[in-house]
Amino acid sequence: MIQKKICLLGAFAVGKTSLIVRYVDSLFSDKYHTTVGVKIDKKQLTVDDQDLTLMIWDLAGQDELTRVKTSYLRGVSGYIIVADVTRPHSLDIAINMHKETREFTGDVPFILALNKSDLTDKWLIDREAVEKLRQEGVTVINSSAKTGEGVEDIFEQLSHQMLESKSANTTKAAGN
Amino acid sequence: MSQILSKVYQSMNIAVLERQSGSTFHLLTDAPKWLQHFCGSHIGVNQPLNLRGTFPFLDCFMEEAEEFWASKISTPQRSGAWIEFSPSGEEIPLEATVIWQNDQCLLIIQDLGEEYYNEVVRLQSFRDHSLTQESLQAEVEAQTKEIRSREEAIAMTLLTAAGHRDHETASHVRRIGLYAEVMAKSLDWNSSETADIRIAAPMHDIGKIGIPDRILLKPGKLDEQEFEIMKTHAAIGADMLSGTDIPLLKMASDIALCHHERWDGTGYPRGLAGKDIPESARIVTIVDVYDALVHKRVYKEASSEQSALKLMSQMVGKHFDPELFKVFLANLPTLNSIRMKHVEPVKA
Repeated sequence: MIQKKICLLGAFAVGKTSLIVRYVDSLFSDKYHTTVGVKIDKKQLTVDDQDLTLMIWDLAGQDELTRVKTSYLRGVSGYIIVADVTRPHSLDIAINMHKETREFTGDVPFILALNKSDLTDKWLIDREAVEKLRQEGVTVINSSAKTGEGVEDIFEQLSHQMLESKSANTTKAAGN
Repeated sequence: MSQILSKVYQSMNIAVLERQSGSTFHLLTDAPKWLQHFCGSHIGVNQPLNLRGTFPFLDCFMEEAEEFWASKISTPQRSGAWIEFSPSGEEIPLEATVIWQNDQCLLIIQDLGEEYYNEVVRLQSFRDHSLTQESLQAEVEAQTKEIRSREEAIAMTLLTAAGHRDHETASHVRRIGLYAEVMAKSLDWNSSETADIRIAAPMHDIGKIGIPDRILLKPGKLDEQEFEIMKTHAAIGADMLSGTDIPLLKMASDIALCHHERWDGTGYPRGLAGKDIPESARIVTIVDVYDALVHKRVYKEASSEQSALKLMSQMVGKHFDPELFKVFLANLPTLNSIRMKHVEPVKA
C-alpha cells in the first residue's frame, strides 16, 4: 500500500486539529484546545482505485511563541494550509507559511483550506485575495470541521494530486 | 550504570539508548513503562531494540539525528514534543534528544509528563488571550470602517451639493478620491492615510463655494482680474478645512491649498516647487487633470485617453511630479476600471 506523509499548517486556532478529528474520527468539538508539539494520525482511503495510507501530521499552530520547525516537513508529499475565514490575519499567515514551506519542500501538492466557512455572517477574510490565489492555480476549498463541509474533499483532492504528481514524476523518470 | 543514575532516569521517565547500527539501539536504562507500551514489557537493559516504525515521528527525526551524529557536535539536539497514544488511548507526550558523547551516538527519549501539560496550559492561556485581542481588534476595525464609510457618504453628499453650482458631478468627486487612493496604496502609504486621501482628495475644490457666480459660472474666458479672484478658491478651501487636529481634514486642507501648485514652481497660490508641495496635493493634481481631460464638460468634449496622456506627458516636470506620474501610468489599468465603474450620469 502506498503511504504518504502530509502536514497541516496554519496560524493557531484555525481548526487544523478539528479538521483531522472530523476526517479521521468523524467528531467535532467547538471548544478550542491548543496543540503543543506534533500529533500524527493515520487514515486509509482509496483514491483513483489506489489504496493509500495518509500519515497526517498535525503541527502546532504558529504564533509569536511557536514557529513550525521545518524539519517536521522532511519527507512530506503534500500539505494543507489552513486559514480561518473569520480571522483576516490567518490568511496572511497561511500565505507566508506556504511560501516558507515551499522553500523547504519544493513543488509538492498543497491545498488551501478556508475553515469555519459555516460562519457565513462572520466571514472577514479578503475575498479578492482568495480569488487571486485561485487564479494563480491554488486549490482553495471552503471547509467546516463543524458541519463536515469540504473536509473529505480536502484530503481526497490532496491525495489525488499527490498520486498524480507521483505518476507524473515516474513518467518523467522513465522518459529520462 | 550506577544505581543512583538508574533511579534518576526512572524518576524522570527517561530511556537512554545507544545507537548500534541503522535503527538498532541498545537500551542503557531500565525500560520506562511508556516504552513498554510500544516495545513490549520484555525489553530490558542492554537489549537490542529496533525502533523503526514504532514512532513515525521518531523515524523522521532520525534523519536529523544521523546528520547530527555525523557532525559530532557536542551540544544536544532536541526534537520538540510529540504525542503518542498508549494501547489504552492514554496520551503520552514525548521528546527525543540526540547527543554525541565519547564517540557514542546517544538517543534520549523522555515522557514529558507534567512539563508538557504546564506548557499546554501556558500556551492555551496565551492563545486564548490572543484570540480575544484579535477579535476586539477586528471589532474595532469593523467599527472604524463603518464610521469612515459614513464620513465618506456625508462628505460626498456635501461636496456634490457644493459642486452642483459649477456642474461638478458626484461621480467626478468620487473618482478623484478613488484614483488618489490607488496612487497612495501604490506609494505604500499606511492604511489610515490611504483611507484619508480617498475622502480628502474630493474636497480639493471646496473653496469654489466662495467664488461669485458671475465668475464661477462665466461661460467664456476669465479676464485677469476675474482669474485672480478664481485663484483664491485654493486658500478659501484650505481655510474652510483648517483649524482642527483631524488628520483627514489637515490633509484635505493641504490638498485644497496646493492642488494648483506646479512642480516647477509656477503654480498658485504660493508658488511652491518640487517636494515643498505636499505629496497628497501632487497626487491630486495629476488625477484631477486626468479625470477632467477624459470626461465631457459643459465647455468641452471628452478627450480620448491616448490624447489625454499625450497632453499630460508634456506637463511632466512642469506641472506634474515626474516620479508620481510614473506611478500614475503604472496604475492606469486600475484607474480605468474605476472610471468605468463610476461613469457620469446620463442627463435626460
